[in-house]
Amino acid sequence: MRIVVCVKQIIDPELAASQFKIDPAFKRQRPNGHPLVISPYDENALEVALKLREKTGGTVAVLSAGEPSAISALRKGLAMGADEAALISDPALDGSDAFGLAAALARGIQKLGTPDLVLCGCESGDWADRTVGPILAEALKIACVSFVAQVDAQDGRLRMRRVVEEGYEIWEGAPPLLLTILSHESNVPRYPKVKDIMTASRRSIPTWSVADLGVETGGMGEAAIRTEVEQLTLPSRESRCELLDGEPSQQVATLITKLRERKAI
Amino acid sequence: MDFGLSPRQQAFQDMVREFAEKEVAPRAPAVDTEACFPAQTIRMMGELGLMGVVIPEEYGGAGADTICYVIAIEEISRACASTGVIMSINNSMVCDLIYTFGNEEQKRRFLIPLARGEKLGCFCLSEPDAGSDAGNLRATALADGDHFVLNGVKNFITNGKEADVAIVFATVDRRLKHKGISAFVVEKGTPGFQVLKEEDKLGIRGTSTCQFLFEDCRIPHANLLGDIGEGFRIAMVSLDGGRIGIAAQAVGIARAALEASLRYAQGRVQFGRPIAAFQAIQFLLADMATRVDAARLLTYRAASLRDCGAPCAKEGSMAKLSASEVAMWVSTKAIQIYGGYGYITDYPVQRHFRDAKVTEIYEGTSEIQRLVIAGHLLG
Repeated sequence: MRIVVCVKQIIDPELAASQFKIDPAFKRQRPNGHPLVISPYDENALEVALKLREKTGGTVAVLSAGEPSAISALRKGLAMGADEAALISDPALDGSDAFGLAAALARGIQKLGTPDLVLCGCESGDWADRTVGPILAEALKIACVSFVAQVDAQDGRLRMRRVVEEGYEIWEGAPPLLLTILSHESNVPRYPKVKDIMTASRRSIPTWSVADLGVETGGMGEAAIRTEVEQLTLPSRESRCELLDGEPSQQVATLITKLRERKAI
Repeated sequence: MDFGLSPRQQAFQDMVREFAEKEVAPRAPAVDTEACFPAQTIRMMGELGLMGVVIPEEYGGAGADTICYVIAIEEISRACASTGVIMSINNSMVCDLIYTFGNEEQKRRFLIPLARGEKLGCFCLSEPDAGSDAGNLRATALADGDHFVLNGVKNFITNGKEADVAIVFATVDRRLKHKGISAFVVEKGTPGFQVLKEEDKLGIRGTSTCQFLFEDCRIPHANLLGDIGEGFRIAMVSLDGGRIGIAAQAVGIARAALEASLRYAQGRVQFGRPIAAFQAIQFLLADMATRVDAARLLTYRAASLRDCGAPCAKEGSMAKLSASEVAMWVSTKAIQIYGGYGYITDYPVQRHFRDAKVTEIYEGTSEIQRLVIAGHLLG
């Protein structure tokens, strides 16, 4: 099975809230030299791909569209065990929304060779849009199953456990498919081994411009966005202490009422 | 001059830091309070390649450089100093030594499983009456046919209880003084080799520190490391590398104490303000951070010289001296910043304080480091 995993490099979401700064002019997070990591669900997706390859054979490629710094995310993908990697990086992509990114990724995937399976994280760890995967499936003209926690391959077909609000659904399908992956105990990302980090650091990773992919730039960049960020602010954190009067039974009743009012219970 | 890490070293640091934060740190309090060897963590570290970081891949190692090695020791020790020194001994004092002085057969037989983390090593130099005075060993290894017969007691052996392989220093003739000292690879289970006792310690409580007894323990000639009489040189070379590892361990402990202090100072409110708003605390934090950075830079310099194949005995001693005293100072101040909470075992800084102390003692006390440095300065 030939699998392509799309990965996004983001500012480490584990960053302390006090270090999180917003650029008001561009309505985005300021990089400020903070550590950059692979978006967490994308790592889960890569782990799913590596486990499928261990079972069925085939290859795993990692693909990213972003800044040149995303090379380090791709190297981590190689160190974790991916067979190949490629980066799409072009100033024309700056400010693209999910449609622009999906268009570039679709051409990148085709350039890597027609895949049986495309895996994306179910959402990115920064914007949490949840849109690139499904739009990419549309661009590739393949079926999409979203919010998949577990995947198993049998006799050329895939069996997927999809998480829904009330529980889960079991889906079956034949490749080609695009899946968006949730975290699950079965897809905890492996740590890359030291020798694989050393090997990955010596691998050359192709960087493709939009022109290399033969994509029209009309659908990309800030000018082509169909969604716009109106406002981006840090949530204010306020703490207040309130002492409840009365007997313990009365205090409990008041507490329950107040928690219900705030939708805490 | 570039003080930054290369992309490869950065990727390595990212991996070890993530591993340390997720796998090592959560177990550290129990490893300390229960004095429990972190066997599962060490097994995982072996699989990742952290038990033979600089050993070439053909001998079971990861083939990384010494800078990567000190990065790893710092990150692991920041999470758990016990785990850090278990790793440091296996890497610096056992794997490096067999790789540098062992013959091909010894590398195949001993080094590969040690560097893969399938086996654990320990280093046996100190004796009840020969600590800093390492040239005055009493343990003997008398030739008898194609064997040496080992007799003597070895003290303060880190990893002693769990180690499968010991590097043992003994003299073939006490009249030759340090020129008689030779190094041997001794496997646990060899008749005449027994663990006499395990010490109860102030810090690094997740490691075993043991006393060994060798009683008519027959070691085949094939287990002689280097030449007869080369042992003292081997011990000194291994200590050069070992001191860089302990320097990195001390930097890791100091950083853990600093980071805990920063978090606490920003959260602890007194007189209506976080205590970090008071200049008395700010000055402490600034001094702590400056000393930690200075110690790390000295450690990186020593590691960098080792990577270039340049002499680094003086620089290794400087790094170890500075980092261990910084770890002690920073962890002491961390307890001061925590106040009463720093003195009780619910908070981590008392562990950092207890763990820091040994870095001023093992692999050469601070006084020995000063002697080494002065020796280089004065010729």
